[in-house]
Amino acid sequence: MKYILMMNATKVNFDAYAKWSKKDLEANVAFMRAFSKELKEEGVFVATEGLGWPEQAKMVRAGKDGEPVTDGVFPESKEFLAGYWIIDVESSEQAYRIAARASAAPAPGGIRGSMPIEVRQVLSSFADLGL
Amino acid sequence: MKYILLMAGTKAGVDTYHAWSKKDIDAHMAVLKSIHKELTESGEFVGTEGLAGPDQAKVVRGQKDGMPVTDGIFPESKEFLLGYWIVDVQTPERAYAIAARIAVAPGPGGVPTNMPIEVRQVMSHSPKSS
Repeated sequence: MKYILMMNATKVNFDAYAKWSKKDLEANVAFMRAFSKELKEEGVFVATEGLGWPEQAKMVRAGKDGEPVTDGVFPESKEFLAGYWIIDVESSEQAYRIAARASAAPAPGGIRGSMPIEVRQVLSSFADLGL
Repeated sequence: MKYILLMAGTKAGVDTYHAWSKKDIDAHMAVLKSIHKELTESGEFVGTEGLAGPDQAKVVRGQKDGMPVTDGIFPESKEFLLGYWIVDVQTPERAYAIAARIAVAPGPGGVPTNMPIEVRQVMSHSPKSS
């Protein structure tokens, strides 16, 4: 079964992260690289992506003529997807254990983090659905 | 440049969708299918996934011993990711145009849902295979 592990954050969280020291950022990135490598070695890795910052996020709707109408204003409480991993595991419990490892990515000062990770099952892709 | 088109909704929104008639769902999926086909043919398609409903969503943190602590309670206002497309396009405007087409996929009675689609650039972040 495929699960997606999502890191969500508000703009305030992103701004705080941007102020981390270079050393703290490097430790965090090193953790993320090692984590993805471990997932590959464990044979559960499917995909990972990091998303651009919320400042560039746009909400898109269609105007009456079908042309896109973009809006870049979001409520402060809005949670932006910061990045995700997709893993292929045997059970939801295995997905939660892996999410707990991601949650512990180091915070400033090298202390153990406790970032919330949203875990959801991924359904068969459109291709799998014959679409 | 890679962009991700995110479709999100609240639990109430998802419940509404589940109440659509089969005909309305079929018409909606037919449009998504044709967009998928066009993006594949134009070489812009990278990936798409649909997520399971919010009822099974958990937020996970790690305890000191590394074991997971799960929580399944979310505020009513929480927007859950329902699915996404990743496209590889020349400009952000092209990504917005594709998002607008997804936004007008038909809803009940064939009326466009005009569901907002969040568009974000995807950073090249995947770990080296070495």
